[in-house]
Amino acid sequence: MSGTIVGATLRASWKQILYWGLGLGALGLYIDFIASSPDIISGYAELLGSMPPAMLQAFGASDIALLTTSEGWIVSIFVSEAAIFLSVFAVLAGLSITANDEHSGLMDVILSLPISRAAYMLERWLGYALIGFAIVLLCALITVAGMMGLNVDAQTDVIFMSVMNLYPGTLLVMTVTCLLSTALRRRAAAIALSAAFVVLSYIFNIIGASASGAIADLMERLSYFSYVHGEDFVLGVYDPANTLVVLAAALIGFALSLKLFTSRDIGI
Amino acid sequence: MASESVLEIQGLSKTYGSGKKQTLALKNLDLKVNRGEIFGYLGPNGAGKTTTIRLLLDLIRPSAGSARIFGLDIRQDSVEIRRRIGFFPAELSLWEGRTGKQIIHYVASVRGDARGIVKHADELAERLDLDTSKRVRDLSSGNKRKLGLVIGMMHSPEFLILDEPTGGLDPLVQQTFHEMMDEYRAKGRTVFLSSHVLSEVQAICDRVGILRDGELKAVESVEQITNVEFNWVDVKFRDAVPADLRRRLESVPSITNVSANGSRVRMRIVGDIDPLLRAISGGYVEMLHVEEPSLEEIFLAFYSGDEEKRS
Repeated sequence: MSGTIVGATLRASWKQILYWGLGLGALGLYIDFIASSPDIISGYAELLGSMPPAMLQAFGASDIALLTTSEGWIVSIFVSEAAIFLSVFAVLAGLSITANDEHSGLMDVILSLPISRAAYMLERWLGYALIGFAIVLLCALITVAGMMGLNVDAQTDVIFMSVMNLYPGTLLVMTVTCLLSTALRRRAAAIALSAAFVVLSYIFNIIGASASGAIADLMERLSYFSYVHGEDFVLGVYDPANTLVVLAAALIGFALSLKLFTSRDIGI
Repeated sequence: MASESVLEIQGLSKTYGSGKKQTLALKNLDLKVNRGEIFGYLGPNGAGKTTTIRLLLDLIRPSAGSARIFGLDIRQDSVEIRRRIGFFPAELSLWEGRTGKQIIHYVASVRGDARGIVKHADELAERLDLDTSKRVRDLSSGNKRKLGLVIGMMHSPEFLILDEPTGGLDPLVQQTFHEMMDEYRAKGRTVFLSSHVLSEVQAICDRVGILRDGELKAVESVEQITNVEFNWVDVKFRDAVPADLRRRLESVPSITNVSANGSRVRMRIVGDIDPLLRAISGGYVEMLHVEEPSLEEIFLAFYSGDEEKRS
């Protein structure tokens, strides 16, 4: 692995990092602005408090008391919204690893160069993993800077870590899309199934957190959202093992993608 | 002493799909291409030319058989092989948002020794009259193909695999391309050139393999292929076709398939055109157009009646 492909991927995508990072950062600033006004937060919390638990979960909050604090507000509302937007990025990035180039015929030119399929896919995956990390980092920095600028009453390290905790899930969705597009070789089908993966994970998380029983527990465990709760940092119950589970799932997905990509025909 | 083979293919087959949708794209191909020769791989569209090339590049995997380039296995040693070969795909796709220069630098960096490669790429671009400062999306299809040729040749590969390289190039650039191929041959390098245009293969190649329906039907020298050549000739008279012209034309042994329509007459002629000129001398000829036979026609001629005539 020479790093040439990683470098080229990053150079070609710096605008993508900027646009996504600034876009999500702007959302973070908006949430910061609301969080700087206790009256708005309490009014909103009151509104959500009148809703059933499942609806509350859908808005990204599991604990109504948490929503009455600036810290809890930012983590519950912003992080859950940003997770959805980052899922869109992750699906697009997953397709960009190899599927788009294969679909356009560019892969024929790339793989006529002295680089193995495995090395190419690995470098592309690393490139997009770094792009995803840079976007989440930029988003976290803007959100934290907004908090400081607006004098929001919240711990910056907690908010920063909560936002950065979006990264493992983003990496997982990106890898799942890469795996699906490698296996199915149809971009539309890969997009549809990746979207289904995100939506079902979101729904499973809502149901799992708002209902009780074995099935609900299982559904929650099957949702990657349940492993990357931003609220865990606020509540002080963050468990690194959860992050490791998501990262391990992403690595397994990538290993499967690699196996498929290196063993099948290209571009047929 | 036998010539050293750069490419050796043994029993190479490729089947696409499975079950009832199974298609045999290439059947039991055996072929050798020697060092220093320009080998034309001739066949109509869908004959299996691109499938062969994609197999050689390890883009697709054979259903049976094997192939070696420089004595290296196309599956096991594909990276080393690709280090030493250049490739131009029939359906060229490039990074639309990047400039030619950016693409050249990128490809050169993947190949290593970027400085030397880029210098040679600049020379090739100048020779092909290509502006590398433009983005690919702003290039005409002909200029995109020029860029494809630069990318395929900029590292001075020992073995060049070209899939329908000159389609979309203007005649002047095609001439430059032919000169480049002559230089390749003079330097002892090898070219595997697929085409469905007989005249191109005639102009460039030393030997020709004829592929049809996934099967290699013959490997011949260009001279042998040329011997079976015939042409279609259209003659347009100022007035109606002379009454006895058809009879006169049909009496010429080398002329067949005569058809007349108004002031035009069309025929198939093998060999010299002089007997035709003598036969039509009675009328006022406005235009005479000689048309090269299609590859399919050459193929049929090569394997039917004209084959007997040739031998």
